[in-house]
Order: sequence, then structure tokens, then C-alpha cells
Amino acid sequence: MSDQGGGLNRAQVAVLYLVLTTAIASGIAIYSSASNITALLKTATTGLFLPILLSLIVAFLLDPAVQYFEKRRLNRTLSIFTVYIIFTALVLLLLLIIGPPNWKGMMQALKADFPRYLSRAIEYLNGILAIAQEHFPFINNYDLPGQLRSASKSFLGLILVETPRSALRIGSLMLLVPLFSFFFLRDSRHLMRGLISLTPNRYFEMVLDIYSRVSRQLAHFIRGRILEALIIGIVVWVGLSLTDIRYTPILAVVAGATNLVPYIGPIIGMIPGLVIALVDLGVGGQFWWILCVYLLIAQIIVDNFILIPILISRVSNLHPLWVILAIIMGGKLYGVLGMIIGVPIASILNIIVIEIHRYRKTFNPYNRFFTRQGKLL
Amino acid sequence: MNPFWQNIFRGRGYQQTLHYFLSTVPAFSKLDKKDLAFLENIVHSRNYQSGEIVFSQGDIGSGMYIIRTGQVQIFTQDDQDTTTEQAILNEGDFFGEVALTASRPRCASARTTAPTVLIGLFRSDIEEAIRRHPAFSANLMFGLNRVISDRLLQCSLQLEELKKKLISDQKEAADE
Repeated sequence: MSDQGGGLNRAQVAVLYLVLTTAIASGIAIYSSASNITALLKTATTGLFLPILLSLIVAFLLDPAVQYFEKRRLNRTLSIFTVYIIFTALVLLLLLIIGPPNWKGMMQALKADFPRYLSRAIEYLNGILAIAQEHFPFINNYDLPGQLRSASKSFLGLILVETPRSALRIGSLMLLVPLFSFFFLRDSRHLMRGLISLTPNRYFEMVLDIYSRVSRQLAHFIRGRILEALIIGIVVWVGLSLTDIRYTPILAVVAGATNLVPYIGPIIGMIPGLVIALVDLGVGGQFWWILCVYLLIAQIIVDNFILIPILISRVSNLHPLWVILAIIMGGKLYGVLGMIIGVPIASILNIIVIEIHRYRKTFNPYNRFFTRQGKLL
Repeated sequence: MNPFWQNIFRGRGYQQTLHYFLSTVPAFSKLDKKDLAFLENIVHSRNYQSGEIVFSQGDIGSGMYIIRTGQVQIFTQDDQDTTTEQAILNEGDFFGEVALTASRPRCASARTTAPTVLIGLFRSDIEEAIRRHPAFSANLMFGLNRVISDRLLQCSLQLEELKKKLISDQKEAADE
């Protein structure tokens, strides 16, 4: 075929055909494997969320200590190692002095005791309902005790299933978290600088400024929250060990962990303690003391009057509606863990938005040309 | 160090490094090697094309720039949009230092007139350095302070001269 007429010669047609078929074939292949790839990514990243989150938190917590050693002219890697060694030594020392709490035995005893606590709690609830029904007869329509029973049973089942599995995971966490947080501590600045340097010249200063503000606020917030939970846990521990109540360490951990969720968390956190106190000790001086520890000492005096004003800035306050939404969405995504970390993550997003907004108020590239009302100068 | 050894250990490649460039900037000339290496880690190297705006008048500034290669024009713009050139800056000069210590609006605009590499030193990085390496930051701020006070001194000398000139001009005008 001669190609004087401007058409394609045979070789060109062959190349075109090849190119088109490979394009279509690879398109189909990519399309069909895209779902495979996302599935692969999903399986590859499962179980990484928790270690990365924990190591980020650890990195945020240890950063001031690392800075302390850096100020004394140690280089960063060396100061991180120093902090690690001191931290491990402290934990070991603590374990040597007070002895490790018998978590496993306690969990087993709780497993055996849980149904007893549950039935007694439902009994109490029935008693209250009987009184309430005299005034509000329609309550009878809602099977509250039954609902409570089924909900707690499923919750217990969840805990029983999750505990051995999480015990397995703790081993890998012990390995991964120190490793990850070491790299976060050492290289996070380089990583972030690399990312920021990608911004266009015109917006570089703004992005750098906003980043530094946000990261400072974030560090402040995360450190504050964790310290707050820790101190509340210790206060509850000490307060409860003055009574005869059992499972003090577990109750303290629950109180501390739920304290990460504002408004709702502390209420949820005190329920197990109150139920156990009610069943084991009955309504008496000790029960009121426990209620006092949870409500008055831990929440009102220590948390509201001392910790929150010192540790947590007002910037990060979330509207209660957002708190509830964050809890629900976190629960949908990651279960109980998601409920606890949903609110802090929402607060982090909130801080980012507020800081950007605040910066934009001052940084307005057109404020030379327009008044605040938008009129041309 | 002996220039002979210097030539062996620091070949021509060294002259191309950021470390060397920073040591030639007057504000950082008194910093030692370790401090310079640290400074290298907190500055940002930015590439600009010719005619690109670095910052414009009225922006909230967050740091200063040092010209590594290329040329920068500093100009002001009044309400009628007439631009007045204030200065042409070349390799090794720095500008924008007014905004380094507090977020003040830029009092002039800066535009590149050739392909330019700028070294940016920003407030947020210095604040972090102050927290982590106080001794280094003190040296750095001292050097910057020295250069800025030199400028201030020159300014006040010029002002003095201008004042004298103004008075003598007024006298001449009164005599006539």
C-alpha cells in the first residue's frame, strides 16, 4: 500500500492497533485490579492504625524530655536514646517497688463476677423502675431491664473475645511502638519540612506559619489530654484503694481512659465502679465515699478546677453536639477504641480549622485594595 | 588551618554547598562550624523564576530572605499604583528582616529580576531553635543583631547629614 494519499501505511496501522489494544487491555486490567489493590492496601494496613496512633502519642509525650537533653548540647538521636533508657528504668523501678498488679487474675475474677454484678444492677434498676412507674406509668412500655441485660451481655462477650486477642497484640505493640516513636521523634521535622517545601512560593510563608501554630497547639492539646487522663486515673486509684472495693486498678484505668471523652466519658467511667460498690459494699459510708471520689474529687475539684485550666487551652473546646457526633462516628469506625479517640481527633481537626481561620484574618493578601466591608479602597 | 590542607579536605565542591554560602553571609560570619551546620537545617532554600513576587507590601511577613544567586528588586507601591524602586539586591544581600521577630506587615514588595535562589529564615523555625538549642539561637540572633544595628547606625548617620543639609539650606534660603 502506498501512502501517497495521506493515509496510514501498514506499519503505522499496526503500531496504532497495538497501542490501542494495550491501552484498552491495561485500562481493563487497572480497573479490575483497582479493587484488588485497595483490598490489598487494606489488609496490608490493618493493625497498623493502633501502633501508629500510640507511637504518635508517645512521641508527643516524650518530645519535651528529648528537648530537655537537646538543650544540654546532646544530639537528637542520643537524647532520644537517653530518654528511652531513663523511661524504661523508671518503669522497671516502679514495678520493682510496688510490684506488678495482677491484671490477669483480676480479669478472670471479673469475668466470673460480671454476671453477678449485672443481675444485681438490674435488680436495683427494677426497684427504681417500680417507684418510677407509680408516677410515670408509660415507662412500663419500654423493656428497660431487658435491654440493659442484652446490651451488657453483648458488651461482656466483646470484651471476652477481644482480651486474648489484644493480649497477643500487646506483644507486637511493645515492639512496634518504641520503634515507630523513635523514628517519629527523630525524623518528623525532616518529613514535615519536606512536605512543606512542596508548597508554591507565594503561599510558602503562610503554610509554614500555620503549620508551626497548629503543631504547637496539637502538642499542647495531646500532652494535656494524656496527662489529664493519667492524673485522673491515679486520683481514682488512690481514692478507691482507701475503701474495700475490688478491681481498683481496672476501675482506675477505665476512669482514666474514659476521661479522654469530654462530657460523656466521666459518667460512663464511673458506672462500673458504682455498680461494683453497690453490689459488694451496699449503700453505706463507703459507697458515698466512692461516689465522692469519682464525682467531687476526681471530676470537679481535680479535673475542672485544677487540670483543665492548667493543661488544656480553651481553644480546643468542642461543642457538645460535635462531641456526640464524634463518639458515634468513632464507634462506627473502630468500636470502643474509636469512641475514645474520636473526640480527640475531632478536637485536633477543630484546632486546625481555628488556626487557619485565625491566620486568614490577619493574612489577607488583598487588604491593601479592599476595606473590611469589601469596598475598593 | 593550613591552606594546603584546606584545599585537600575542602575541594571546589565545598564552595558550592549551602554551608559555605552561609559562612560568607556577614550576619552568620561569626558562627562556628557546628552552628552553621545547625543553621543549614533550619533555613529553607527556595527557587524563584524571573519576575516572581517574593512577597508584596502589606502581607503579614514571617521571615527574612538571603539571596544565594540571582537578583531581587525591592519596590513600594502607593495608592495610585505607581511603583517606586527602592533597591536592587544581589548575591549575599538579605531583606525582609523587619518581619523576623514579629508578624508585621511588609513595608515593601520584593520581586525577582532573574532566576533566583533565596534562602529563607523564618520566625517559626527560630522559635523552635530557641526552645531546642538556646546557645545556638543566641549566637544567631547576636549576628543578626550586629548587622541590623550596623544598618541602623548608617541610617542615623545619614539622617544626621540630611538634617544638617536641611538646616544649611534653610539658612541659605533665609539669607537670600
